[in-house]
Parts: sequence; structure tokens; C-alpha cells
Amino acid sequence: MITFTINGKEVQGQDGWTILEVARWNGIEIPTLCHHGALEPYGACRLCVVEVNDGRRSRVVISCMYPIRAGIQVQTESPRVANVRRWIVQLLLDESPESPKIQELAKTFGVTPSRFKKAGVDFACHLCGLCVRACQEVVGVQVLTFGNRGLRKEITSPFNAASKECLGCGTCTYICPTGAMDQVFQRVKGLEGESHEH
Amino acid sequence: MSTENKIGIFLCECGGKISNRISLPKVSELLIFEPWAHLGIYPYPCLSPGLEAIKAKVQAKGINRVLIGGCSGRVMKKKFTQALASVGIEKHQVEIINLKDHVAAVHEATPQELARKAAALIAGGMASLTLLEPYEPVSLTFEGPVLVLGGGVSGFVAAQQLARKGMESVLFAKAQTAERVLDELHWTFPGCRIFCEDMAEILREVFTSPLVRVMPDHPLEYIIGGVGDYRVGLKQPDGSVAEVAGAAIIVALDREFGPGNIDYIGGGERVCDLLDLEERLGQGDQADFKPGKMVFWVNSPQHGKEAQELAAMAAWRDSQVLAREHPQVKPMVLYPANITLPLTGADLVEARAHGIGLMSYAPEVHPVVQSGYVSFVSPTDNLEHEVEWDTLVVPGAPGEPAAKAQELLRWLPIYSENGGRLQKSHIKFYPDQVPDESLFFTGSAGGVCDLNEVLQQGKKAARGVLNLREKALQGRLVSPVVVHVDKDLCEGCGLCTEICPCGGIEHVKPGSGPVPRETDNHLCSGGGTCAATCPHEAIKVVNNTAQQLEARVKAILARMQPNEILGFVCGWGGLASAEQAAVKGLTYPSGINLVPVNCLGSLDPSILSMAFLNGVKGIMLAGCTPKHSCHYHYGVDHCWYRVNAMKKLLSLAGLERRRMSIGYVEVNEPESFVRMVESHMDAMEKLPPLPGDDKTKAKLWAIHATMHRPRVRWVLGTSLRRPAEKEFPGSQFNAVDADETMLDVLKEEFTISRIFKALRDQPLNPPDLARAMDEPVKNITPILTDMAKEGRIITKGWEKGYPIYAMGKA
Repeated sequence: MITFTINGKEVQGQDGWTILEVARWNGIEIPTLCHHGALEPYGACRLCVVEVNDGRRSRVVISCMYPIRAGIQVQTESPRVANVRRWIVQLLLDESPESPKIQELAKTFGVTPSRFKKAGVDFACHLCGLCVRACQEVVGVQVLTFGNRGLRKEITSPFNAASKECLGCGTCTYICPTGAMDQVFQRVKGLEGESHEH
Repeated sequence: MSTENKIGIFLCECGGKISNRISLPKVSELLIFEPWAHLGIYPYPCLSPGLEAIKAKVQAKGINRVLIGGCSGRVMKKKFTQALASVGIEKHQVEIINLKDHVAAVHEATPQELARKAAALIAGGMASLTLLEPYEPVSLTFEGPVLVLGGGVSGFVAAQQLARKGMESVLFAKAQTAERVLDELHWTFPGCRIFCEDMAEILREVFTSPLVRVMPDHPLEYIIGGVGDYRVGLKQPDGSVAEVAGAAIIVALDREFGPGNIDYIGGGERVCDLLDLEERLGQGDQADFKPGKMVFWVNSPQHGKEAQELAAMAAWRDSQVLAREHPQVKPMVLYPANITLPLTGADLVEARAHGIGLMSYAPEVHPVVQSGYVSFVSPTDNLEHEVEWDTLVVPGAPGEPAAKAQELLRWLPIYSENGGRLQKSHIKFYPDQVPDESLFFTGSAGGVCDLNEVLQQGKKAARGVLNLREKALQGRLVSPVVVHVDKDLCEGCGLCTEICPCGGIEHVKPGSGPVPRETDNHLCSGGGTCAATCPHEAIKVVNNTAQQLEARVKAILARMQPNEILGFVCGWGGLASAEQAAVKGLTYPSGINLVPVNCLGSLDPSILSMAFLNGVKGIMLAGCTPKHSCHYHYGVDHCWYRVNAMKKLLSLAGLERRRMSIGYVEVNEPESFVRMVESHMDAMEKLPPLPGDDKTKAKLWAIHATMHRPRVRWVLGTSLRRPAEKEFPGSQFNAVDADETMLDVLKEEFTISRIFKALRDQPLNPPDLARAMDEPVKNITPILTDMAKEGRIITKGWEKGYPIYAMGKA
């Protein structure tokens, strides 16, 4: 058993567990976007940052991937953490102003749209990758993938083509936190533009 | 797995997402008298600490059935199954009740009220888990040759690859020599003459290999058996049937290229189609090719882009051959601009060197053929241009799959899609549901493609077979037990074989009579339509049985309020859209209790009648849209008939037909799902609960008995929702006739069931029986006489000139 503290509270865990898991098990909530119980941690959104003091120095790390160690002191709500989180939410908000989930987060952290403007169309997707990972890890096929890079990065199917592999199971639309997957799903199934009235 | 029930219930708080909406302590309190071995509330059972806690409990208390009250089983089940495998819990021993999406997130009721609903769903899950049975997967052997059927070109490559790896194969082909195969190649793959040398190499290897037996392609009589043990019967010229056994089957079917319709062009000998040209090229006679300009005009947009692309490629390759062998001919390809010619830089260099013209035309404006000229609109300048020709070649069109296809389709799970394209069963499984691919289908009949592609398909099929052999050698070729047929109950009617979309239920030889069926679980999808239609209830989907579902429904019903209803959702459209309603933050009335099933086709009709017998007010079913999106081909269409029969029986019993309704949604249509629920709930609110008097009870009992009657189940099993049907079997001439025939059957069987019910209580004479049943005597006397004649009831004595009938066998 590894013993350490979170927000001054003494907690225990086993080798290999992450700070996020132990915190949640002990009823301490840490906000996340790209984390899902069914999937391996991914560390894309950085929203789960916490401050870890290992006795020598204090660092801001992502809790979803940081393995616990004996004696560390974890702060989940320190001013430093709050500052980092606010910036992350700020950037996410500027990137996906349409996403209801991000709007909710912005409200919680008191963030408003800034001078940063994203080029291109506003789309609710903020590239957390849950759909891509769920398709691969849960369903076991690889219908979804990231396309392009940088500012033009997007969720798509390989070669942007309607997929023959897609089972139509809807796991991606279920796991998508913003609802942006609906449109992508139609495209992946090759149904875009088709009427869905029966 | 021990048969002793030790159920562990693990309720998830989900960081407040569940625990804030459902009072979990109240749920535990409501479940206090249920037979569980452990019940606990956990903050996050899905994270490592939670999984460790579950594992510890499983080991400490000897738990052998795990029920998790959390979120979607579709997403979470894999994680729990993988984690719990180390403590000996298998997939079917884990049940996930979706409290978050079916209860917490979608209803506005108080946490106390929602706790009751949650407890009902959990009690249902427990009832289902209680009936789990241990089973052992079957290990398969994989010996003997591979049977290559269909006679397609890809079969030769498959045989070649197999022989190289020391695997025997039997190849059935029309052409018995390599030369014949090459001579006929252009009938299926025009424009592939340039590959002939490579092809000849392969064929030589195949025809000389001691491991390949090439046999004449006699008419197919039957294909029976399963993976590792297929038997194919071939009708010999003398009328006898020769049987060939093999471990696996590769189906190589090509699509023949039909001659193009060139009559409307005219032009006599100056105009020909690609096949004609290929014949002449094959003979290689210089005199056949007059000097001059030869234009290949790629038209026939009606056959689709792929066919055009193929034709253009064929034209290009033939141009190459012409340029090399008959330099007096100047070929040119005129192709529509909407297709792309996959030509490399080297090809273009060659085209220039040989003077092969490549010209595209705007497909919106149809080119016009004149004598000696074709005029077309160029996409580059929108002007009409003319090209001169001395010979005009119009490509043929991809025609029907080879005649062999019709014989094979009868026996194998290969289906004809629209456009004549053949496809393997389009059932899409989750990859971990499929053991291994075990039926290999190759050739251009599955989709227009060129020779190269087809040869690759053949190689891939061979690799698949070799993988199976490798697995078998290591003893890992295991067939899961998905569906089990009870040989004592099966009467060999063959209905299951007819309706099985995946080829999982064995065919039997024609004329072998009613023999019990067996299942090939390697092909089985576990859809369960077969189990729900079996007239004798001989088929069960292992650990997903009708009995389990019945127990689940009963347990839920026992905890439901009188004004609540049941909702059956199929595992694809219905369940996905229900769960997505929660993600989208939609709400609907909490009076509907959702019961997920794999496919609505797997919902036994007796479950519906049982629910009414147990007092449910109404039932709603949500499945995928018929035909185009049902994952099990026609599952939802089969279910439609069960709903329809249930409606008819309800109205025969004097109850409202609208207590049952079925709706269709796609995976990403949560709004439609909510509308369905609201509409049905509204309709139900206007109805009183089911009358609880003895007469109604007796009628509902009779409905339930009717749904178990083999004759009714047979009629339901053979019926399929076919609104566009124009032809009806037997003496039924139209839709109304067919429906009335079914109504007559239901009426008769319903009356029989009611007579049984009445006679069960006490022996009665016809007038008293009629009074007890509230029916005119004349309606029941003919049925009574028949029943007595058949010995299903006995005449116990006589009273005032009437027979007194009683239960019992004569």
C-alpha cells in the first residue's frame, strides 16, 4: 500500500494507480474532459492538472496519468492549479465556443471568450479523442481517426471515405461529450446529406 | 462456474451523477430481501481502486455472478470483463444495469422514486443472472482439404498459396486445363490480357501440384456440415451424388461481363464491343485489324462509376496490347471525366510513345455517334469536339454473377444485394464476438474489380484458411457455444435454417427428412431470431435464453406500479438512442422500464403475452428501421408479426390493441426515441390498467398459451413484415387475405387455449363451457368435436344429451 496525501487528507493506493483514480475513490472530484472509465488514460485535455509536491519541489502534473508514489503531497485546488486550469479552459473555449460542455466549464471557472480567435468554422468538437479511442479500445475496430494536424486537426474516417468497417453501434455518439459526433457519424456512415425521416 | 448462486451487486455513484439523482441507500434497502451475497455502494467501480475492491469481494465471498449498477454496458462491459477474468469471472457472468442513462439522467422524479425504478431493473438483472448455466466451449479439428467452390479465378490463386504451405485443396472448375482458363479469362476480366503470362505461371503451378485436385464443376446437390467438417455433394453425369469432404470452404465467384448493347449504334462490323475485340486479340491474327483509328468509348453510366473505371482500364490495357502487337491500329480511349484513370507516369510516357490517345468527355452531355466521328464536350473548354474513328469499341457491362452463384446461395450465407452484387451476410458483430472468419468469399461477384484485386482476394482467403489451420494445430480453434438445439424437442422442420441470416444453423441433405438441426457456432451471430421463432422452442441462445428474459421481465413487473409500462429496446438502434437521450440531457416520463434485448427478433412472442398475463399495462418496442438497418437482416420484421399477433389476440380478448406498439429508431436519434416514449405513455395514460377480474385473467392466460402453441409459432415464424409484397403463398391472393388467414389461425388456437383453461378448472358440457367462456355455443362446438376426435380432450360422460368434456389424453 502506498500512502500519500491529497489536499492534506491521508489516502492509500496500490502501485500503478493514478492520482485521479485515488482522488475519485476518496470522493475528491477533479474535473476531466478526455478521461473515461472504459478507456486508458490519454492526457489530451490537461484539465485534470494537480500540484504534486514530492518533498523536493512542487510541480503541476496531469493526475489522470501520474502514478502515485509514497509520501507525495497532492493539491487539487491550489491557486497555481486553478490558474493553469483557467488558462486551459480559456483556450478550449476559444477553440470550441459552441461546445456546451466547454461553456459549462467556462461558467464554473469564470472564463469568457478572449482575443484569441480560431481560424475556420466553429465546431463543437474539441478533439478530446474519446470517440477515436472508444472505437478502437471498446468496439475493437478502427473506423475513426484523427485527420490533418495542428489547427486543421479533425476527427474523420481513414481517407475521409465512408467506412465499411463501421458497425453502426453508436458507441462514439454515446461517448462524445459535446454532441459533435452526430455530424461526423453521418459522414463516416456515408449518410451525410441524406434525409433521416422515415 | 458453480451453479450455486452468489450474486454480488456493486452500485456506482459515478461521482454524484448517479447518487445525486437516485438514492442508492434506498435502492439497497429495497433489495434487502433479494438473494444476493454482497451489495455495496462504490464511488467509481470502473477505476482501478473500484475494480480491486470488486475483485477482493468476489474472492472473499465466492461471488460467481457480478451485477454492476452503473452506466452503459455497451461501453463498460469490456473493462469489467477484462479486469474480472483474473478472478475467474467470465463475460456472461457480468451483468450491467444502466442506472445512469436509463434512470438517473433521463427522469425528473425524486431520488426516492427513482430508487424504486432502479431496484426493479436490478432485481430483473438478478433474476436473469440466476438462470446462468455453465458451458464448455467445443474444440474443433481442422483436417482435410480446402474446398474451393465457384470456379472463379481467385480460387486458383488460393489453391496455389495453400499448396505452397502444404495444404491440400480440391478445386471445382469448369475449365480443366490452364489454356481453357486463359481462353475464358476475358469473359470475366476483359482487358486483363497483359497479365496472362503471370496468370499462366500460377495456373501451371496449380495444375501440376500434387496437393491440388481439380475436379469438374458438376451441379451442386448440397453443402452440409460446419467449419472443420464440410461435406459437399455433387451430382454426377450418371445421376449419382458424389460427396467430397473438406475442412473449409472458399467461394470464388466472378461476375461475367455481358456484351454491351451496341445495336442502337449500328455501324456493322466497324462497331464492336470489348469482348469481340478480346476474342480477336486472343487469336492474334494481323488480318483482323485493319489500319486506322480505333476509339474506345467508355459509356454505360448506369452501371456505376466502378464499372466505368474498370471499362476504362480495360480499354487502356487493350490499347497497350494493340499498340505493341498491331501497330497499324491507332487506339484512343474516350472516357467520362467523372472517373479517374489510375495511370502512373510511366504509363503516360508509354501512351505518348505509342501514340495512344487519352481523352475525357464531360459526362453531363452524352456524346453523339456519327458515321466516322464521335462528338463530345470537352470538360476543359466546354466546347464540342469531334474525334475520328474507323473502329468504335464500346465496353461491355458487368453482368450477372456466374450461374454457379444461384446454387451456392442456397447453401451458404451469401446474399445478393441490390445491383446483383453478392455479399457475405452483412451482419456486423463486435470483433470480440466473432471467433475467426471461417467462410471466405472472393471474386468480382462481390464487387466490380480487376484481375489484380481478385488475385489479392484469393491470397487473403488462403491466408485466412492457413490461420485457421495454425490455430487448430495449436488446439486453439475453439467454437464458442452460442446457440444450442435441443435434439429431443427439435422436429426438424427447418424453419430456423430458412430464417437464419448468418448460416449458423446447419443445412441437411435434401430428402433426408425431419432430422434435428445442429449449429455451427463459428458462423452464428447469436441474433436469436431462430430461437424466438422455433415452433417447438427447441433452440436456445446460451446464457441469453427466453427463460432468462422471462425471469427478468417478471422480476421487473413485480416491482412496477400499475400505471407503468415495459419498453423493449434492441441492442442497436433502440438501446443506443435511449442511452444517447441521457447524454443529450433529454428527459422522458419515468413510467417506462427499459429491457434491452440483442435484437427485437430475439424477443420470444411468449414474453409479450407473459408480460400482459402478469399485469403490465402496455408495452413499447423500439428497434432499428426495418430492412436497411436491422443488424440481423430481418429480425425486426419478424418481431413485427409477433407484435401484430399480440394486438390481434388482445382485441380477440376484448382489450385495446394500442396497448402494444412498435417503433423504429436509428442509433443517433435520441429525440425520436423520446417522442416515441412520450407518445406511447400518453396513449397509455388514457387507458385504464388491465382489468384484474377472473375472466380477463383467463383470457390473458389463454393468450399466453396461444403464443406457446407450435402452430401459432410456425405461422409467426414464417411471416415477415413485407409491405411491398405482391405475391402471396397458397390460397392467399392479397395482403388482406393473408392477414385474415393469420387471424383465423389465431382465433382458432385462442379458442382452443380458452377451452383448455376452462376445462382445467372442471369438466363441462358445451353449453356450460360456452357460458363460462362468454361465447355462442356454435362457435366452440366444431372445435370441441375436433379436439375430442384428435384425443386432446376426453369425453368423461353424458348429461342431458350433451357430452361432458374433460382434460386428459384419450
